[in-house]
Amino acid sequence: MNSDPDSDKVLNIRDLQVSFRSIAGTTRAVNGVSLDVRSGEIVGLVGESGCGKSVTIRSIVGLVPSPPALFEAGEIWLRTRRGMTETLALHKNMKALRQIRGRDVSMIFQEPMRSVHPMMTIGKQITEGILEHEVVDPAEAYDRTVEMLDLVGLPNPAAQMNRYAHELSGGMRQRALIALALVCHPQLLLADEPTTALDVTIQAQILELIRDLRERMSMSVLLITHNMGVVANLADRISVMYLGKIMETGTVEEIFKEPAHPYTQGLLASMPSLFSQPKTHLQSLRGVVPELAMVPKGCVFADRCPYVMPKCDETPPVVELRVDHSVACWLYADGGETQGSEDAATAEPSLSSEDTSGDSQKAVGVIPVLGTEPGSDASQEQLADSYTAQLQIENVALHYPILRGLLRRQVGTVRAVDGVDLTIRRGETLGLVGESGCGKTSVGRLVARLVEPTAGRIRFGADGGLEEITHISQKEMKRVRRAMGMVFQDPLSSLNARMNIRNIVGEPLMLHQVAKGRAVDDRVGELLEMVGLRAAHQSRFPHAFSGGQRQRIAIARALATEPSFLVADEPVSALDVSVQAQILNLLLTLQQQLSLSMLFIAHDIAVVRHVSDRIAVMYLGKIVELGEAREICVRPVHPYTEALLASIPLPMPGLETLREMPKGDLPDPANPPTGCRFHTRCPYRQPICEQEEPPLRQIAGNADHFGACHFQDELHLEGVEEIEEIYAPAAAAEGK
Amino acid sequence: MRTYILQRFLQMIIVMVVVMLVSFIIVELPPGDFLTTLREQLTDQNVDPKVIDSTVEMYRARYGLGENWFIRFGKWAWSLMKGDMGYSMQHNRPASELMGERLSLTIWISIATLIFMFVVSVPIGMLSAIKQYSAWDHSFTFLALLGVSVPSFITALVFLLLSVTLLGATTVAGLFSPEYVTAEWSWAKFVDMLKHVWIILFIVGLGDTASTIRVMRARMLDTLGEPYIDTARMKGLSGAKIYFRHALRVAINPIISSIGLRFPQIISGSTIVAIVLTLPLIGPLLLEALLGEDVYLACSILVVLTLALVIGNFLADLALAWLDPRIRFEN
Repeated sequence: MNSDPDSDKVLNIRDLQVSFRSIAGTTRAVNGVSLDVRSGEIVGLVGESGCGKSVTIRSIVGLVPSPPALFEAGEIWLRTRRGMTETLALHKNMKALRQIRGRDVSMIFQEPMRSVHPMMTIGKQITEGILEHEVVDPAEAYDRTVEMLDLVGLPNPAAQMNRYAHELSGGMRQRALIALALVCHPQLLLADEPTTALDVTIQAQILELIRDLRERMSMSVLLITHNMGVVANLADRISVMYLGKIMETGTVEEIFKEPAHPYTQGLLASMPSLFSQPKTHLQSLRGVVPELAMVPKGCVFADRCPYVMPKCDETPPVVELRVDHSVACWLYADGGETQGSEDAATAEPSLSSEDTSGDSQKAVGVIPVLGTEPGSDASQEQLADSYTAQLQIENVALHYPILRGLLRRQVGTVRAVDGVDLTIRRGETLGLVGESGCGKTSVGRLVARLVEPTAGRIRFGADGGLEEITHISQKEMKRVRRAMGMVFQDPLSSLNARMNIRNIVGEPLMLHQVAKGRAVDDRVGELLEMVGLRAAHQSRFPHAFSGGQRQRIAIARALATEPSFLVADEPVSALDVSVQAQILNLLLTLQQQLSLSMLFIAHDIAVVRHVSDRIAVMYLGKIVELGEAREICVRPVHPYTEALLASIPLPMPGLETLREMPKGDLPDPANPPTGCRFHTRCPYRQPICEQEEPPLRQIAGNADHFGACHFQDELHLEGVEEIEEIYAPAAAAEGK
Repeated sequence: MRTYILQRFLQMIIVMVVVMLVSFIIVELPPGDFLTTLREQLTDQNVDPKVIDSTVEMYRARYGLGENWFIRFGKWAWSLMKGDMGYSMQHNRPASELMGERLSLTIWISIATLIFMFVVSVPIGMLSAIKQYSAWDHSFTFLALLGVSVPSFITALVFLLLSVTLLGATTVAGLFSPEYVTAEWSWAKFVDMLKHVWIILFIVGLGDTASTIRVMRARMLDTLGEPYIDTARMKGLSGAKIYFRHALRVAINPIISSIGLRFPQIISGSTIVAIVLTLPLIGPLLLEALLGEDVYLACSILVVLTLALVIGNFLADLALAWLDPRIRFEN
């Protein structure tokens, strides 16, 4: 490795070590990281949260407050307008550091919603940056800002100059922040999870923008993300980071085609992709990222590694597998160089046979998709049974009035849910997918009667036939709720921090008088073990558990009264990739064991496809497409479904989607477009779409597939073919 | 924006009307009416019966006594608006005369205290946040704790004691030196007042200043942790620009919105201090009126103080809307 700060490199981090000192002791967050970014290159730094990615890139620009941080060793060489500069040494020299920030290197952050100053106009915030670094008159700075806003694709840039943050959507704010970062033409852009907080369609737009600007402004990008799909489509090279160390570095093709490090393999396998076998266990990494203070000696990944061996007690060497592909793992260190990649290839299947989650879950076989093999008597019976509905909602609506002015007059209506029909069959998982603000969470809350429907009918069958629950009293509803469990998105705020686990999980039991006294303890213990926790942990409080464990507790609570129906509202979106896989596996297992019906709500169509039998796609309060899960992903009939599928970054480099991305943001739900609500963003729109609203109707030749597009029978839309044989080692291994 | 101002203004009027109604009911509550009391008082003073009759008649007409409550309220409210605060039975003087100077002094002292509080606490709180856990921060944390926990009358007594024993002062109490107490307002009297007033500001404002330091520090710390401050740092801005241009305007919001609420606190807080230091403020007068069941005086003071409070709140709302585009946007 050429360690000279040569001219090709824009950034060269060498053996960076950063520790944090606290009362509890000193923990090392970054432990010998070396990383290069070359001219014009996009480098992805990937890993789960708490692995030191942010600390690493914030160290480059001195954004890590010290104390508590201690920069113990290493060098960070950055190409600036004055030549290569070592920036760690500049941390003490604020003036020099300030000259670099914004001019030679810029940064965009994870939360565009909170990264724009709320009380300053966009224009002022951007021109401020120009005026800080260059001697220009305000008029020129103004013109350059407008030009930049135009370049990042904000509509009507001159008008944006006088707008405030709250007047822009998340995607627009991230564009404005990119304009702010690039207005002084830095050579390097640091992007810290730039799309994590955004909707998938907006994420696709922003990634496209970054790719485009890299060419136009000939800059390099260092991108942090936990989403392998994002880097696959954007990065040229990838470094995988775990607990302060770089585990593997390689070109994007090498990393995805021949992931060498067990951690990289695990990350790839954990992701439900549009190619994985639905309703099967994902090969999640076992356990969770440990606290920094508990990092294992030697190889930091040893305690979660399926190939762990005695030698792993020592720090593994960095092995060069090929030019531009190196890995820090003992698997590749012994004997010859050739052993490495072969070893990995043969080793892969054994990863799947491993008891992966460490929570005594057994692999679940593939469930026959409903209606696909109507052969034997048994399946006939199963079929008939499956078709009895557990939940039926008809034309349900939820409207909120918008009150304005002195007299709180109603000036409009937010149609959160606007006439939705859905049926969930017994034992079935129905996935509900859509962008944020489309009303999917409201549907979940309506079903559980947490909000009062404005119109429509909700019928639910606890154990017998359907019974109407649309307007029954809360007292009667209590009886119904016994058969209904609910899991919420944020596992931290949905558990009362002042209650211990026994009371959290046991509360429904006591409320419904299922158990009393000691019996509650026993049942809570059973439930905790069922979700992969220890029964002995009953007396602990929620803060003692990690995010994934908290979500397990929430699931245990939802299942306490042995419900037959579960509403899961974004149960995994707040979790890390490996933990997400564990929770999805748990939900799949429990659904099988307890023959639950489930309404699974999520924004990620890949996740939804993985767990659902059928999928309903929602847009602005309406169902636009409904059908069997794989069918919808392979042969979507609604342009919005196609757009959602196209927006999912595929973990497959070089397989860029050529389809047109949906343009713009989700329209205001208080003022939905006339006719077909999607027409403002639809690439296939015709005059009729602006006038007539298409109803949800059956697709010709498929009784189980519905769409709400005027041209659903004529349009040929592209789904995602199941091309597991082309690539995706995880999916391939699983498919065997 | 116009709707917002109008809305706040109407709310202000409604609050005023409600407060006046409540005051009116309190005035009306005691058995018998004011005229009976007045007649008795005047008779006791051996006033000529004709004069008594005419005086009583004058009040009857002015306050519409004997008519229904709605008209009585209207007349009372109208006379209040004209500045006629009614008649103090305790002092046998019109209430407005009693309140006059005390009221304006009180309001000026309150405003001065607010300004003192602002000027002292905002920079200290800001610096404490910027230099978190420094010696500066620790010492002001300690002082603020002291300021919050020591009641203001104790501070006042300590000041009295210190100035008498250490400085040998004879005139520390009061707002003026003895020779000016009854004098007409003049430049010299004003200068004399300034010499005395800072102690009062300090004593009355100490508690609020201390708690505002804490609020400012906490808000500033929160704000400095916001992502948009990182955005500002990444532009290459200097510390001063980040703190003043970006952080301060966000951090100061709750302090501005609390001004309206500080106002009555200052008035009630200053009452005790005013009693200890024998200051001619409105607080002691109100207390006296309440103790002596001097309903007209008490209610008039309450109404006037409410008016001051409501106007203070209104101004704070306007200031907030001017500062924060989000508030303008919501309406």
